[in-house]
Amino acid sequence: MKERFMVLDNMKKPLAGQIFSIQHFCLHDGPGIRSLVFFKGCPLRCTWCQNPESWSPASELGFKDHLCINCRNCLSICPVNAMKTPGQIRSDLCQTCFSCAKACPSGALIRFGNCLSTHTVLKDLQPEYPYYRSSGGGVTFSGGEPTLSLEFVIQLAAALKQDQIHVAMETCGLFHMEEKSESLPESGKAIRELLSLIDLILFDIKLFQEAAHQQFCGTSNRIIKNNLAMLARNFFQEGGPMIWPRMPLIPGITDTPENLEGWGDLLAELELNKVTLVPFHNLGEAKREWLQLKPGPKLNTPTPESIEKARHVLARMGITCYDPGEEEWPPASKSSPV
Amino acid sequence: MNAYSNQTPAARIKEEHLPETEPAFRKPNDRIAAIKAALFASPYSLCLERPRLLLRFQRSRSGRLSKKEHPLVKRAKALAYVMSERQPRIYDRERIIGNMTSKRTAANYYPEGGSINILEDLFRLEKRHVPIQLTAKEKLELVQIGLSGLFSSIGGKALLKPGRFMHFLDFFRAKRYFITEEAGIGHQVGGYYNVVHYGLQQPDEIAKTCLEKGTLPDGTKLERDQIAFYQSIRITIQGIRRMAANLADLAEKLAYHPGVSDKRRQELLTSADACRQVPYYPARNFLEGLQSCWIVHVAMNLEDFEQGMSFGRLDRILLPLFRRDLEQGTITRETATEIMASFQLKTCETLPVYSERIDQYFSGNGVAQGITIGGTDENGEDTTNELSGIVLDAYAQICTREPALHVRVHENTPRWFLDNAVATVQLGCGKPSFFGDNAVVASLEQAGISKEHARDYAVIGCVEMASQGRTYNSSDAALFNLPLCLELALNQGYCYGQRHFGRRMGAPTKPVEQMHSFNDVVDAFRSQVEHAVAEMVKVIGWLEATYRIWRPTPVNSMVTEGCLDKGKDVTWGGALYDLTSIQVAGLADAGDSLYAVQQLIFHQKRYTLKELLNILKTDYQHHRGLQQELLHQFPRYGNGIADVDQMTQLAADVFSNAITAHRNSRGGRYIPGIYSMTCHIAFGRLTGALPNGRGSGQRMSNGLSPADGADRKGPTAVLRSAASLDSRKWSNCCALNLKFDRKSVAGKAGRSALANLFTTYFDQGGMQVQANVLDAEMLRAAKQNPAEYPGIVVRVAGYCAYFNDLQPSVQDEIIERTVHGIG
Repeated sequence: MKERFMVLDNMKKPLAGQIFSIQHFCLHDGPGIRSLVFFKGCPLRCTWCQNPESWSPASELGFKDHLCINCRNCLSICPVNAMKTPGQIRSDLCQTCFSCAKACPSGALIRFGNCLSTHTVLKDLQPEYPYYRSSGGGVTFSGGEPTLSLEFVIQLAAALKQDQIHVAMETCGLFHMEEKSESLPESGKAIRELLSLIDLILFDIKLFQEAAHQQFCGTSNRIIKNNLAMLARNFFQEGGPMIWPRMPLIPGITDTPENLEGWGDLLAELELNKVTLVPFHNLGEAKREWLQLKPGPKLNTPTPESIEKARHVLARMGITCYDPGEEEWPPASKSSPV
Repeated sequence: MNAYSNQTPAARIKEEHLPETEPAFRKPNDRIAAIKAALFASPYSLCLERPRLLLRFQRSRSGRLSKKEHPLVKRAKALAYVMSERQPRIYDRERIIGNMTSKRTAANYYPEGGSINILEDLFRLEKRHVPIQLTAKEKLELVQIGLSGLFSSIGGKALLKPGRFMHFLDFFRAKRYFITEEAGIGHQVGGYYNVVHYGLQQPDEIAKTCLEKGTLPDGTKLERDQIAFYQSIRITIQGIRRMAANLADLAEKLAYHPGVSDKRRQELLTSADACRQVPYYPARNFLEGLQSCWIVHVAMNLEDFEQGMSFGRLDRILLPLFRRDLEQGTITRETATEIMASFQLKTCETLPVYSERIDQYFSGNGVAQGITIGGTDENGEDTTNELSGIVLDAYAQICTREPALHVRVHENTPRWFLDNAVATVQLGCGKPSFFGDNAVVASLEQAGISKEHARDYAVIGCVEMASQGRTYNSSDAALFNLPLCLELALNQGYCYGQRHFGRRMGAPTKPVEQMHSFNDVVDAFRSQVEHAVAEMVKVIGWLEATYRIWRPTPVNSMVTEGCLDKGKDVTWGGALYDLTSIQVAGLADAGDSLYAVQQLIFHQKRYTLKELLNILKTDYQHHRGLQQELLHQFPRYGNGIADVDQMTQLAADVFSNAITAHRNSRGGRYIPGIYSMTCHIAFGRLTGALPNGRGSGQRMSNGLSPADGADRKGPTAVLRSAASLDSRKWSNCCALNLKFDRKSVAGKAGRSALANLFTTYFDQGGMQVQANVLDAEMLRAAKQNPAEYPGIVVRVAGYCAYFNDLQPSVQDEIIERTVHGIG
């Protein structure tokens, strides 16, 4: 209880969170023209992830080879000589002071993740308000997993609500809602606090079988499924934020009939009869190089036929599928801008 | 007496029910597809009929006799001869008839103008980037015509004179400015409302009465020039009537050809009937209305040159006829769309003739025959109507490079119309463009146009504006290289490569060692701009004087309010509103450069001006790091940062003030425009490195757009920056380009997002915006040549990014995705 009040009291004293990008004029993550705030830090490690810079909660250094002009400013400025040639960063030596990224004129060395205060983020978002208002859009928290920066997200959402901005959140679903969780005793309350400030939750569903989820995403999906059920209940019975499931379509992994049917059953049971299918793309492959990560597994992008097939499976179970950006959002909810 | 008042249809437009449904007829039917296919199957060519007839006239008896007559009469006789003697041609299945040239798709040749430049490409016409097909015999004729016109062209007459040789060189080098007016003035939105509803009979009778009474309509006694003017009007109208009659004869002849179907026979007879009625008499129905516009448009093209000859607000002009046809049951929405599509396809018959050298400045074969739709009446009431939708639907059927479509947007623009317009943008032809009525009307008032007349504005060509039928706006008189003035300002009026004992190009401003504050730099910049503008205005003045004698334009004068009242040709200053407009290229580059100078030299004190000058002279050769920093890290225009945007405002103000300080030789005002055709590329090649990191020879920013790659925060920030600038002085408008890949703005979500993006921009004071929705082919080109395609917004995952910022492999993915339409 004490912590929750602290969050509210702290409104005057802005909190800060790790943000790796703020993108404007986004049209595919909720209704209208939106800005996306990308949070750093994610509890999952999905093998197909195209945003690997979102994994770690800490700021990271990346190197875009094709932008380097070989001016060697980075080599001379590094206080610990962690670079022999531009971009070859020795992670054992690097103290992540980012002075090299600051000194890089061409943007080849880049810092992923900045600790931004609520104030700073709002200053970036406020000029966009007229676009949200004319289009019925707003702000979507994305990531990473926004609920890992819980207090900060709450403060940001509260501030946006105060300005009557529609707020949506994308989540992987892995957070603690139960009051009695031992590890995070107060997180359940804080989550409820957050839910009261949010209009729409875009809830990612991936693999239905627990073992498969463990294998491909690195964690069990028990809590995720429970949270999905709880959020659905919260939406239908307690007037909580609208919940809209989204499923990445990964050929051979998530688009198998068993997986689709598994989710289909659960969604039908929860009376969630709409889902957005997000076809896999490998546009983030380069990012692994930037971060000196091992390349991801070679995955195919779904063909139009396989997307159609997936739609068909879910449609049979009474679930309507949408392309990202083509959803029929219900008319503005309780606290949306008029 | 002045029958040219009361130009606009009554306000009853509002009362009727407007369509709220999805656009209806956006797929071409057989006829439209066939006409389009025939047009596309014919190669681009050059038509020599016009210069041939002009030569024949000069050699004829009446031509020789006319040499002694008043220049206005002489000109009218020559034009009337061309119009009456040219061969009429009617193409299969078209509903609007009247050939623009003697070939299906060809450029008219104007020996009086700049057409001679095509001789530069004589030996490689077929191998040009845009090939031109000519037979060997025609090439020979081209050389003859070209040479015979060498000294009779306007440019030659104005500039090949003692004491003007340096200006001729300057003009030819086209470094500080490019004077378009040498080729022709063109760029007109005639009073088509009167043409359609009263016919050319009206000006003919005014001229007749004036000549009979020997007085102006207001009773003043006619002078010699005025008598010649009214005579020129009557002679030219006879020529136009003859041209229409020739078309009617041919249509009748074709109608009774063996093998012509009953349906086509009926159509041809209808067309024949129409051409006997219009444009001399008032149009009796929708088809005749468009036919009337078309014939007068052809006459305008034969008189001046093709650039920017526009139709004005066709949705308002034709509405009474369309409504009457509907009531009488003689037309349906579907047939009206078909007729409109056939009309729009006619505009594809023409193209400009540029040598490849000139093509750098005006690439893309644009003629820009503008149609303006939507907007308000003189009281500010919305006039959008069902014809506004039909114009868009017709264009959706054809998706061709011409005509240019312009949509006026204001607070009460109906949503269905905006949606239809954006749906047309989604087709990927970059049309229509959008204009914010509030900003446009304010800027026209600034140019001295009354509020009521300003509200009846229509777009000339690409973005320029006129109160339709009341303005003579040499709206594309010249283009101006603004960043070069900064180069000259830092280097005492010399270009970077120039030796200091050579001829100084600009004003003799202070050396950098003596500039101690940022204001000193701005002062030098201002002096250079004023110097260049004054030089340019001088040359334009010579051209204007030559036009009055050698190339007056009676057709233009009969459709422009004021001329018949004053008894003056438009080139003599007859129009109600007379303007000359100069456009600026590289505005954002100039603004960002001023900002960089202010920060680097005077705030951060990292370099002295002298050091910066040397860095620029050597094109950042030993300062690649600084260049990269300026390009990628420095704040720049287009990101919604007020401090930086103010510098672009400063650059724009320096330019605007220099321009508006002058008057043209007709007594009209000079006004500035913020657009650059493709001059930002050609000027860029001739301009040294700039303090904002732009390398020597690289292209500059275009129109009101941010410099290449300078916008880092997406389209909303660009629009915010653009809307934050004070556009009141930009009475010749501005052009702001946005680019998206098809996927990122596809579907219903994309449509509504774009519509909201534009309306919010206009709410914030925006003036003009156009969006290109690109397809895979263009993205492939962008990948090959990134510098040529900056600022393309593509949807990566949930967000959009600039195409050039992506890894080559990602670019491939996006191209692939665009091809398959998945993602």
